[in-house]
Amino acid sequence: MLTDHWNATLVLLVTALAAAPLTALAGFWRRTLATPVAIVTTAAAFAAALWGWAEGGPTLDAPWAPAWNLRLTFELDGLAALYSLLATGIGLAVVIYASRYIPLHLAHSERDQGDIVRFYGFLLLFMGAMVGLVMAQDLFLIFLFWDLTAISSYFLIGYDSEREDARASALMAFLITGISAVCFLIGALLLYSEYGTFALPDLMARTESSRLVTTAVALISAAALAKSAQAPLHFWLPRAMAAPTPVSAYLHSAAMVAAGVFLLGRVHPLLEKSDVVMNALVVIGFASMATGGCLALTRKVLKQLLAYSTISQYGYVVVMLGIGGADGAAAASFYVIAHALMKCALFLTAGAVTEATGQKALTGLGGLWRRMPLLAVGSGAAAAGLAALPLTAGFFKDELFFKAADHEGNPIRLLAVAGAALTFAYSWRFWGGIFAGPLQTEPKPLSIRLTAPVAVLGALVLLGGVWPHPFARLAEDAATVTAGTPVHIEVAYHLDSRVENVMAIAAIAVGLVLIFSRPLWQPALVAISTTTVRFGPERLYWAVLLGLNRLSDRMHRIEIHDLRGRVATILLPAGLLVGAGVAVTPGGGTFRIGSLSNGDLPEVLMLTVAALAAITAALARDHLSLALVLSGVGFSLAVVYALLGSPDVALVAVLIETIFALLFVGMLALLPREGDEAIAVITRDREQRLQADNRGRDAVLSAIAGGLAFIVAWGILSKPAPLESVITSHIRLAPVAHGKDIVTVILADFRGLDTMGEITVIGIAFLGIATYLRRWRTR
Amino acid sequence: MTIMSRHVARLLLAPTWMVALAVMIKGYADTGDGFSAGIIASLGVLLQYLVVGTRETTQLLPVRYAREAAQFGLLIALLVTFIPVLWGDPILTHYPRPGESVTHLGTLELLTAVLFDVGVFLLVLGVATGVIDLIARSRERRPT
Amino acid sequence: MTLVLAFSIAVMFGAGAYLLLKHDLIRVVAGMVLISNAANLFIMSAGLSKGSAAIYPLPEDGSVSDPLVQAMTLTAIVISFGVSALLLSLVYRVYQTHRSVDIEQLAVAEEVETRQREEAVAEAEEEVPVAEEEEMALAERGANPVPVSVSESEDR
Repeated sequence: MLTDHWNATLVLLVTALAAAPLTALAGFWRRTLATPVAIVTTAAAFAAALWGWAEGGPTLDAPWAPAWNLRLTFELDGLAALYSLLATGIGLAVVIYASRYIPLHLAHSERDQGDIVRFYGFLLLFMGAMVGLVMAQDLFLIFLFWDLTAISSYFLIGYDSEREDARASALMAFLITGISAVCFLIGALLLYSEYGTFALPDLMARTESSRLVTTAVALISAAALAKSAQAPLHFWLPRAMAAPTPVSAYLHSAAMVAAGVFLLGRVHPLLEKSDVVMNALVVIGFASMATGGCLALTRKVLKQLLAYSTISQYGYVVVMLGIGGADGAAAASFYVIAHALMKCALFLTAGAVTEATGQKALTGLGGLWRRMPLLAVGSGAAAAGLAALPLTAGFFKDELFFKAADHEGNPIRLLAVAGAALTFAYSWRFWGGIFAGPLQTEPKPLSIRLTAPVAVLGALVLLGGVWPHPFARLAEDAATVTAGTPVHIEVAYHLDSRVENVMAIAAIAVGLVLIFSRPLWQPALVAISTTTVRFGPERLYWAVLLGLNRLSDRMHRIEIHDLRGRVATILLPAGLLVGAGVAVTPGGGTFRIGSLSNGDLPEVLMLTVAALAAITAALARDHLSLALVLSGVGFSLAVVYALLGSPDVALVAVLIETIFALLFVGMLALLPREGDEAIAVITRDREQRLQADNRGRDAVLSAIAGGLAFIVAWGILSKPAPLESVITSHIRLAPVAHGKDIVTVILADFRGLDTMGEITVIGIAFLGIATYLRRWRTR
Repeated sequence: MTIMSRHVARLLLAPTWMVALAVMIKGYADTGDGFSAGIIASLGVLLQYLVVGTRETTQLLPVRYAREAAQFGLLIALLVTFIPVLWGDPILTHYPRPGESVTHLGTLELLTAVLFDVGVFLLVLGVATGVIDLIARSRERRPT
Repeated sequence: MTLVLAFSIAVMFGAGAYLLLKHDLIRVVAGMVLISNAANLFIMSAGLSKGSAAIYPLPEDGSVSDPLVQAMTLTAIVISFGVSALLLSLVYRVYQTHRSVDIEQLAVAEEVETRQREEAVAEAEEEVPVAEEEEMALAERGANPVPVSVSESEDR
């Protein structure tokens, strides 16, 4: 059971998960309430996260479906504290920003302002899912929250659902992360099959290096890397820029993409048991750094530039996690914090600039620093941090990165410097392109709610440069979990020629060279990037998607092409197979005529009526008499049921027959009346033409079908199942289950799952009917 | 339709529902269950459509909530099915368990199985009236 | 009795199969209804224990109709009702779209539609969506911009 008192873990979990439903409810009640409630609930979750970090959240362990061996295990450890602070803190900044941005956005696209409730709902659901994800200590729970983030991201990326590209992007993100989530599940199940538990602490204590563990953690890492948009599955992230800017900011800095590296950090002790996976992480990380960094230098659209930069930045983190050890874990944790602050600030800047000027690409922008000084300073701090200039938190992120890379030999050192130089170059490209140079577009004045979050985040970046210890402590706690051993992070400025400083200076120098030599490499890089995009993995994705589409078309064509022919081709082989089955069944030849007493006369009579009615139905001339004869069959069968001693079935049969007959007639009234002269003539013509060749064939086929049905039914009915079986126990147990009508008890209790499935089918059928009958636009 | 049949149809609505309710509640002790009850109740509604007409029926009865009723019914059934899992019983465990005493409310026995049947009733009622309503509306739209 | 039951089931099934082979979709649905009726009767008679209703208090001699097949038949009846209603509304929808419930005519319409669809797919393959960015880059170098079907709406 739950622990007796409310602790930080529980408070954070509850506040974070309650934010979305509370906001949605408030918003549906009064639209104006949505914004304040969203801000308050997010702030509450942030406060809870801060409190939890200070206090330390104990383990929360509750049985959950013990029949299936599942537990709800949450713990607010260092790693969880870091990511939940990011999810709620960045969430707060994003919500405040969105409270101004989204109404403008909705107004631009002429949508109902009430749509903002949907935005808050999914954004906060995302936040709740992230908080749950980072605190979960059980692979199955992680999977649940993992999918929840995928679902909410789908709705957020596709928020502008009237735009086709937004829908396609949302689907792409969902497919890539959703399919890779299945990899995660397979990996988790592999571990479960071997060690019998989903609990992470148990797994970490018990797993040893083996091929199975390698496979499992490779699958898990694949899911994490896809989520973090690492090469070669990076292409969904730039596409996801179809989302409104606050979503992008959140996705990139604290949620979706961060979830990937979080998972790597969470299962890191397992990853360390496989050298292959660790080495693969380093390779993939560098590949992503290179891809993202180079492509970022070619992009002009602000959000695209930032998207590629994110790919490259998380490449850093993956490299550090792949290097592993205390240094790698420390660097990764610190990097995630610093990156979240900066990337969020830069995205919000991009959104604000676009809002003010209407420009989305660098080509139409420049010289804005005079017009929007606050935004320029805030995002300047963030960009400087990304470029790892001293006096920003970013300096230490690179410092720790270089320190971790230093142990790994010269190639890694060189690659690290190259990556940092690329970052330096595109950071300048972004900030300089917007704020420096001559003024291109005159901006409109902006709401303080669009600029203040940027300024606050920028101030935090600067604060981290002057007083990095709170950030370092947070990173330390997180790295301790990731590395599995206590980690100490020391951040300070050293004015000496230690290797980190040399690497940092080299990176800045190379970055400056890159910036000034831009005309030399720009055309070549653009050409390369165009080629890779056109023939890269994204091409494969579309090819697969379109291929599947075509396959489904082909199946469709085969199936639908001639329904009647298909019915015949199914009936005939099915009949032959059944006939063959009857022929080879041992004892299949025992047929009993069965006894027939005077008391059976009513049944025989009603059965004859039913059979005659069925034949009449087959020969009915028009639809109305068909419907009437059909219900005649049903009613006579209902009487048979009643005579056979089953009042329940008879009652339902009569009722259903009544309502169905009425529905049938009602539906007929919607269709063309056969009495209409024109239709009647056409029908008669067609009938005459077709009857000649088809009636005979149909009659033969149906006679065969009926004959086979007869043989099968007679054969089976000749050997009724022994009554001494489950039925006797049903009859005996019905009073124990407090029931008198055994049939109802079976339906609701003994075989209740059947009923459950049945009413689900009915519900689905209703959905289908509603879809078919609802008003729709005719083409 | 004559005034007479209109009145009769309206008058019949309440008894139909009484019968439906009785069939459902007594389902555990006698013939009938949630399905039959749901269909009986929706037959009552169907009568209104046939005699009184679509517009008046939709004003008279809350048929526009048919979909919600169906969803709610499915939800009840799902909850009754899966809630026992929360405390470790197999799915579809009904309470009171065998051997425990049953609370009576008059002749109504309070069982979760009956609640399950109520879910089925609501679903069937919602689906049947929903389909009736859809057909009736399509007929009205149909150009004649 | 066995023989009579088997015979009625067979007749209903045969008549249903005959209707299934008709051109008229309404009759096809009726055929489905008949076949499900046959199936229901079959399940019901599989118990074949004619007795008194399976409701407590049970009779002294203990001859009770098999409650299990009754429960199963009930389920089957309700499901076939749902399916038939769905089929009917499907027929209505087909009529609304194609103004016909005749399979032969529908097959022609279907063929036409499939062809158009395949052409559209082939076209879409030519136009694999390319981000705005690539388009700009290509335009810059003087190449013809790639036909873009999705990102046009980006500009506002």
